[in-house]
Amino acid sequence: MGKQEDFVLRALEERDVRFVRLWFTDVLGYLKSVAIAPAELEGAFTEGIGFDGSAIQGFARVSESDMLAHPDPSTFQILPWRGDGPATARMFCDITMPDGSASYADPRYVLKRTLQSAAEKGFTFYTHPEIEFYLFKGQPEAGTIPVPVDQSGYFDHTSQSHGSDFRREAITMLEAMGISVEFSHHEGGPGQQEIDLRYADALSTADNIMTFRTVVREVALGQGVWASFMPKPFTEHPGSGMHTHVSLFEGDRNAFFEGGAEYQLSKTGRHFIAGILHHAAEITAVTNQWVNSYKRLIGGGEAPSYISWGHNNRSAMVRVPMYKPNKGQSTRVELRTIDAACNPYLAFAVVLAAGMKGLENEYELPREAEDDVWSLTDRERQALGLQQLPKTLYEAILVAEKSELLAETLGEHVYDFFLRNKRQEWEEYRGQVSAFERDRMLPVI
Amino acid sequence: MPRQVSHYLSSGNLARLGFQDTEVAAATLGELGSPSSPLVAILGRTADPDMALQTLARLHVAAPDPGALLSALEEDEGTAMRLLSVLGMSEALGDHLVRHPEQWHELQDPTLGSTRPPAFAVRAGLIRAVGGDPQDAEPTATVPYAEAADALRVEYRRVLLRLASRDLAHHVGMDDVAAELAELAAGTLDAALAVARAKVGPESATCRLAVIAMGKCGGHELNYVSDVDVIFVAEAVDAGDETAALRIATQLAATLIQVCGDHTREGTIWPVDANLRPEGKNGPLVRTLASHRGYYERWAKTWEFQALLKARPVAGDLELGQAYVDSIGPMVWEAAGREGFVEDVQSMRRRVLDHIPAHEAQRQLKLGAGGLRDVEFAVQLLQMVHGRTDETVRASTTLSALADLTSGGYIGREDGRTMHEAYSFLRTFEHRIQLYQLRRTHVVPEDADSLRRLGRSLGHLKYPESDLEKDWRHHRREARRLHEKLFYRPLLAAVARIPGDEARLTTAAAQERLAALGYVDPVAALRHLEALTSGLSRTASIQKALLPALLSWFADAPDPDAGLFGFRRISDALGSTPWYLTMLRDEGETAQRLAQVLATSRFATDLLEREPEGVKILGGEGALRPASREAVQAEMMANVSRRDTAEEAVRSIRAIRRRELLRISAADLCVPFGVAEVGYALTDLTDATLEAALAIATTSVERERKRDLPTRMAIIAMGRYGGYEMGYGSDADVMFVHDPHEGADPQVASSMAVAVANEVRRLLAQPGTDPALEVDADLRPEGKQGAMVRTLDAYAAYYAKWSAVWEAQALLRAEPVVGDPGLKQRFAELIDPLRYPEGGLSHHDLVEIRRIKARVEDERMPRGADPATHFKLGRGGLADVEWTIQVLQLQHAGAVPGLRTTKTLEALDAAVAHDLLSDDDAETLCEAWVLASRARNATVLVRGKPSDQLPTDPRERAAVARVLGYEPGETTEMVNDYQRATRRAHAVVDRVFWQD
Repeated sequence: MGKQEDFVLRALEERDVRFVRLWFTDVLGYLKSVAIAPAELEGAFTEGIGFDGSAIQGFARVSESDMLAHPDPSTFQILPWRGDGPATARMFCDITMPDGSASYADPRYVLKRTLQSAAEKGFTFYTHPEIEFYLFKGQPEAGTIPVPVDQSGYFDHTSQSHGSDFRREAITMLEAMGISVEFSHHEGGPGQQEIDLRYADALSTADNIMTFRTVVREVALGQGVWASFMPKPFTEHPGSGMHTHVSLFEGDRNAFFEGGAEYQLSKTGRHFIAGILHHAAEITAVTNQWVNSYKRLIGGGEAPSYISWGHNNRSAMVRVPMYKPNKGQSTRVELRTIDAACNPYLAFAVVLAAGMKGLENEYELPREAEDDVWSLTDRERQALGLQQLPKTLYEAILVAEKSELLAETLGEHVYDFFLRNKRQEWEEYRGQVSAFERDRMLPVI
Repeated sequence: MPRQVSHYLSSGNLARLGFQDTEVAAATLGELGSPSSPLVAILGRTADPDMALQTLARLHVAAPDPGALLSALEEDEGTAMRLLSVLGMSEALGDHLVRHPEQWHELQDPTLGSTRPPAFAVRAGLIRAVGGDPQDAEPTATVPYAEAADALRVEYRRVLLRLASRDLAHHVGMDDVAAELAELAAGTLDAALAVARAKVGPESATCRLAVIAMGKCGGHELNYVSDVDVIFVAEAVDAGDETAALRIATQLAATLIQVCGDHTREGTIWPVDANLRPEGKNGPLVRTLASHRGYYERWAKTWEFQALLKARPVAGDLELGQAYVDSIGPMVWEAAGREGFVEDVQSMRRRVLDHIPAHEAQRQLKLGAGGLRDVEFAVQLLQMVHGRTDETVRASTTLSALADLTSGGYIGREDGRTMHEAYSFLRTFEHRIQLYQLRRTHVVPEDADSLRRLGRSLGHLKYPESDLEKDWRHHRREARRLHEKLFYRPLLAAVARIPGDEARLTTAAAQERLAALGYVDPVAALRHLEALTSGLSRTASIQKALLPALLSWFADAPDPDAGLFGFRRISDALGSTPWYLTMLRDEGETAQRLAQVLATSRFATDLLEREPEGVKILGGEGALRPASREAVQAEMMANVSRRDTAEEAVRSIRAIRRRELLRISAADLCVPFGVAEVGYALTDLTDATLEAALAIATTSVERERKRDLPTRMAIIAMGRYGGYEMGYGSDADVMFVHDPHEGADPQVASSMAVAVANEVRRLLAQPGTDPALEVDADLRPEGKQGAMVRTLDAYAAYYAKWSAVWEAQALLRAEPVVGDPGLKQRFAELIDPLRYPEGGLSHHDLVEIRRIKARVEDERMPRGADPATHFKLGRGGLADVEWTIQVLQLQHAGAVPGLRTTKTLEALDAAVAHDLLSDDDAETLCEAWVLASRARNATVLVRGKPSDQLPTDPRERAAVARVLGYEPGETTEMVNDYQRATRRAHAVVDRVFWQD
């Protein structure tokens, strides 16, 4: 038992912790939790906690369902929302098979593997997400249109607004769990909020995003409102994305930075972006995994729908933010496709893998998109060689099914399950008759 | 003049004394004024008298006081021995002396022979050399940087010179030499820090910097020349600004590294290597104590804890250094309880063994099995396992730790002693190799001069090369067996009293160790050990000697527990059989193969248990090569002719088959063996078995009906059997054909042929001790409803009238193998036009094949089977690949004779050769097919029963991965690779077969 495990076991005593929640994530990005008593934790550290993997989306078939969850003591946190009294704590877990080999179904392992292969080339991967979500009154009810908690807009500050109360409490709670928040404000849509997490290594960020989604929903429930990360809840209002700033470090040096280069962007940075663009269509099924995700990518506003990059160009899929003098360490690129309903482990893994492919094969960075991509005509876009991102989940699946990169990165098990599940989602969706169709047709035909 | 030359300077005498070039030696001695006979004799006892003499002559020229030099040598034997032994061993130190001739006086010091230089004095001398004050808590150099670096080098060599003379002339023990070298290094680091302080300036007072030695320097066991491993810890003075302090400390550390490592006029000292620090090369050079702690608490890996075993503060702020060791040190002892410790250790050990360039493997002292690194590693591992509960085995020096482990009973006394000797020898050998040119090398030179010098330096004056070789071979052999000696033999002491060993491993410690070595059930393992070693019989004593080796072989295989249990059962059965004991006693390859088979394969273990005599097969040169069909068939036929009844006869051929199955499977497990070769071997064996069974059945039916068989018979191999692709679990798919003799009664002929066919199947399938061979004739015309045997004409009539495309497809794999040669030939001629249709496939037939395949995929897949890992029907599995190539064969074999083969891989090659399939597609299909075939064979080997599915039991799955060549812990990677290969193949099948 290492020091860290000891620390955790001591903390359980000192903080009077009665339950320890072991967290892990299924393939689609839903958080799973199993509660154990503190007395069982020591065993969990040494041997793991057995569970039936076949009951978890995408984990295992019935015949090979014995799996073990190994809590990662470095992720130990007391959950702040359980009031006073005895405390509850949580830890993220790694999943293994009974023989000790890591489970290829575990999204955390997918990311760890990808980080590892970047580390073998000397790189660490940092991410910094800007997470958007809506707050609604009451609870969602089938068939009704949800009502946002306010009618404010971008950066609006209204006294005693629900949103700012909410953000204050959520941020306090996040900070209490060791998750640093950089920035928060009211977003463009009514009831829409944005909270930006501080940059950290991709694995911590992914863990943080999982925690974040839980905290935000808990706080909302406490305040009698409903929080949702659905990518596009309203036809007429902006969708909720998760613009993510990414950078590579070599040791403690930012590998994207090169003083004097155009936009202070190094060769590494340029190849990395080229990699993301080259493989953009393939990885979209993962970064934007729901039928609904593609309604956000339809265009206009903050969401991209063409494969392009630009310097400070908010219509581009990849944006190179303005360089701030003497901030070489913060050189980064912003990927604007990802939405907050993704599985962050898988999404970060495929983005990193695409970027690393760019480095490996020294892809040439295509021409920069200097204009607002939306304002161009189709012909202009064609002339500029701007390709469109997949327009629907179905299109995304078709590209993904041919992607060796995706299979390599996700591992065969997750790749196979994920695409089967997505096909099924598409088939179910295809049969749905929508309000749109009824509104158009019933009155006239 | 020649008359006046003293007898002792004659060529003959000089040669006898050990000079090689006696003429030059005589001349040089003359120039030196013909030294006295005793002095020449001392020269002659040096490692390289010629070099010693020539360097002495150069020193004589360079020395300011040549007369004093010669008279000191003449008058003081001690001085002569010290100086000349150094000159005869080390070219580099000789050159140094010529450059700094005044230093020869150093070796006049008579205390060198008796007194170890105190560490503080060495340090003081080094610090004074750069103009620092040794009394100062933080000495700072006053000599300018470049001069200080040179002065440090000169002083370093001065001390090294004294040390080398102690080593060579006074035979100070290897452990003392190594410890003194470590102290010299520590003082040098401190002096280098003083130089760094002067360069960085007064700001250096704002930080406290401690240098922690790791590795050999930390363990007080440094080499003459090696990297000195260090870690830097720093704090701000008086809780000042930490960031600024770290910046200064980093400058100091970087300068220190430069001072030691730079090449100046006076050469270099050694490279300082700080890569053992947290995060290695990518981490900051200097960290605070808290930051070090934080890292080890969170991130450190097992090997990093192992490295910490040697941590020792040596320079800079010793108080801070001690705080570091006090704070981090205890973590070492918790590492062995960490999860994944066993796996980590195994993979570390593999790394030790892996990284040797092949051309050096034989002459490496440091790396490889039984190399110095391996010994050090093994000792450290035992310390980590047992040091947790026993504080007496925590010493940081290898030889001390070895002694502690021995007196604690963790290692047998005799083994501890031989390991000590082997390690000391190898280290001394390494020292001498390095001394020559003060180069960092661990490779034994190959040229005769070097070997002569090395041999002589180690005391072999008469036959330096051959005696050295002998010693080296002896110690290397001892060291190679260190895992047995250190890890396994003490386990036996825990269960069986071994005379002479007072201290012995406790049961609890033995269980701890077995668990660390990978035994899942240490309690049962100890029980087996006890049973195998108890008693005073010859068997028990031989097994006592063999078990340490066996235990280590089991531990390297997938299922150590099964290996030990299997061995116990075989031993129970064979007990005192003389040949078995001989085989065990010789401990050779046979025993190792036995261990590997038992700890890997249920299939082979079952075969062995049915008849333990089979162990014999594992022995002997070439015994693991599958026998030819002719040889097996001849043996079977000879056996058949000696038996009276069909039952007895078939028993004898099944026993032969069992033995050959064992041979093939053991070969597959122990020696590199392709899947195609396994297929050929199993197919040949089946051919021989069927041929013999057909003979037995024919005789039996003839005897019963009291008449000769009035017809010729043949057996046509089908399916994977026909394709020479049988696996361990395969049935023999066949069709029977007969052809009545001219004028025979067709009714009688037919009824007797059916009787023979049924008898073949009955005899081979009946229950017995030896494995049955299922003979499956379901692929015959009309399947189960059809006649078991048809005449050739009936086949012709049937195929002319009824044949469906699936039958043509099945016939692609038909290979007449057994029975009447003429009939076999005519059957092949009959079916060729069907399976290689001239015009290829009609569109209708192609559609039909696809439809059948679609149905088969759906219906034949067992309920609950995982399509991703089903060898036969899974996506991209065997059937997918085979159907794809078979369609190409049906379409094109009429025109392309190369495609007329029953073998899948051959057909794929032919398809590529004729542009029917792209190279890449064929490669992809081939890869999946080979992997699925190998995995299927591995599965049967591991589980002992046929299966078409990758095992779901984790331990079995892990064993399959091992058989397929994966390392422990890579099981899921194997599954991932399998799924990748088959997914890619599936994509090709979609394109080529389904034409999606």
